[in-house]
Amino acid sequence: MLEELRNIVLKEVKEMIRDPRILLGMVLAPLLIFPLMGFMFRTSTEAMQQSLRTVSIAVADLDKGDVAKNLTDFLRSIQTVKVNTINARDTEEIATIVKASNATAVIIIPENFSQNITNGQRGELKIYGVFRGGGIAESASFSIAQNLLESFKQKLTLQTVQTKFPDNSTVVLDPFNASQGSIVKGKPVDVPPSALFAFAQAQFLGLPIALFMLIILAMQLAATSVAAEKEEKTLETLMSLPLNRFTMLIGKLAGSTIVAAIGAIATILGVIYYMGSFTFATAAQPSVDLSAVGLTPSLLDYAILGTSVFVSLLCALALAVVISVFAEDVRGAQSLLGFVYTPLVFPLFVLMFADLDALPIGLRVFLLALPFTHPVLATRATMTGDYFTPVLGIAYVTIFTLGILYIAARIFATEKILTMRIRLGRKKTIQE
Amino acid sequence: MNSVSLAVEAERLVKVFGNVKALDGLSFHVEKGKIYGLIGPNGAGKTTALRIISTLILPTSGSARVFGRDVVDEASEVRSLISYLPGEAGAYKNLSGFEYLQFMGKFNSKDRNHLKEMVEDAAKISGMGDRLKDRIKTYSTGMKRRLLVARALMTKPKLAVLDEPTSGLDVLHAYHVRGIIKQYTKESGVTVLLSSHNMLEVEHICDQVALINRGSIVAEGSPAELKAKHKAANLEEVFAEVAGLA
Repeated sequence: MLEELRNIVLKEVKEMIRDPRILLGMVLAPLLIFPLMGFMFRTSTEAMQQSLRTVSIAVADLDKGDVAKNLTDFLRSIQTVKVNTINARDTEEIATIVKASNATAVIIIPENFSQNITNGQRGELKIYGVFRGGGIAESASFSIAQNLLESFKQKLTLQTVQTKFPDNSTVVLDPFNASQGSIVKGKPVDVPPSALFAFAQAQFLGLPIALFMLIILAMQLAATSVAAEKEEKTLETLMSLPLNRFTMLIGKLAGSTIVAAIGAIATILGVIYYMGSFTFATAAQPSVDLSAVGLTPSLLDYAILGTSVFVSLLCALALAVVISVFAEDVRGAQSLLGFVYTPLVFPLFVLMFADLDALPIGLRVFLLALPFTHPVLATRATMTGDYFTPVLGIAYVTIFTLGILYIAARIFATEKILTMRIRLGRKKTIQE
Repeated sequence: MNSVSLAVEAERLVKVFGNVKALDGLSFHVEKGKIYGLIGPNGAGKTTALRIISTLILPTSGSARVFGRDVVDEASEVRSLISYLPGEAGAYKNLSGFEYLQFMGKFNSKDRNHLKEMVEDAAKISGMGDRLKDRIKTYSTGMKRRLLVARALMTKPKLAVLDEPTSGLDVLHAYHVRGIIKQYTKESGVTVLLSSHNMLEVEHICDQVALINRGSIVAEGSPAELKAKHKAANLEEVFAEVAGLA
């Protein structure tokens, strides 16, 4: 049996890998498209950063007072800011002047601005963003102008507080400090929750997405592998061979898994490169020492997660095979698979944003009945040290999968695999 | 005729698809070492009969035995005795001809030397030479059919079930394949059950024929007997007469 299985698996892998549609679509495209997207993102971000090196801000000082002058001087003191002074008084006129310049923001300081502040009253000024199409660079440079105003405001506050409390101005402004910690698996650790949340969210998003990609790819391949036998008229010959039908089924599942794993690795490599393009552009997350907070996955965690993923994958493959039996050709199989993707995707997206326990009971039962919910739950459970939930999930998915495999094996063992048909939008005919 | 000398015994086979009766009490016997042809127009039930004999579909009623083995209860034993060539068969287009033959051969033999012999035989039968190294997707329809016929015969099965073995072949290649089938039966003692709608072709290679119409046999015998009985020049004329077309 093992030799026959090896023969089938080898044939499946050769057939799929040599199929240009599979090779290009599932292996080469992710390796090329994601890095290309990353390159384009990196190039455009670099161009944006280049444009932000000097931000041009126009200032219309109608006040001419001390505070207004200090503000203009403050802006001028920033190396990356170019200040254009506008002498016009009318807002319409200012707008016309600014339009012709390259300023991304204009600050209009009205009369009595300085006097009001000096007299202990609130000063009013207005900042306009110059809309030139609403690109990311435009929005970023307006934010810079806004932030500079906030910095100047803080500077003014500090000056006022220093005058009144020369010895302890910083304490007055910031009377206490709240240091943060987290409680992980019932133990206190000196790591801010935000850092743990960032880490956990990366896990919750990363694993389900990778798992989802692997399952979708494997399902497509498994369904294609059975439907192609029908389309290419090779199934009848294969079914007439002295070959155990269950071996044939397992061979197809194994072949699809191997090729899907290659496709998933290619996609993950592509995505890693793509995500790498963002890291320099985003603020670095505080690094977490996983071993110090007790979140380093143990061998048991890996074994539980691996088993959970494996049984879900097997379940998806068996489901794809059962579905493809109803299709007449590859196109039909792909269309039928479309109906399965929704329940497949559903738990992944719901659980990314909500806790299972927080959901209404009906939705909770529905989610728990779907086999693809359980690997996502296993990710969380192993992180909190709860091993009962994933083990129960594995048992449930295994039983579910055995049921589907039994149906698949029954279909393979009978003439149904040759005679069953669901034609989507096509006329039904009866074979000879 | 005792059942020990029979390769195939089909008794009152009935097959219903939905509301269509594809076979309606079909019975025939094939002697060991002979070439038996099921002849009839498209839709007569030839393919359905061959699929039942090859264990691919189940009869609605009736029974069939291959070398004494029941095609329903002993399907896996039957599969190890037969080699089936479907009428509209294809081959794995991304494999080379050699790879395809090796893949199929491995299910019949675990012995490397035997496998090598089988593939060499298939190369001879197909007459394709070095083209067997190319991917199947580059083959013409005729080449593909020759490869498939070679695959069906290379294992020297006890019973070769060939559905329209020469369909898609030009005159020369059809002649070549017919020659191979005849030669194999003689040399290897292979029994052949084939179907065709080409009655003239069947006349040349079959020892025994059954004319089928609407799922049942309308005449049976050797081509010479049938022609003599119906005073016809060929099997086509015999069929026209027995089917009430003449």
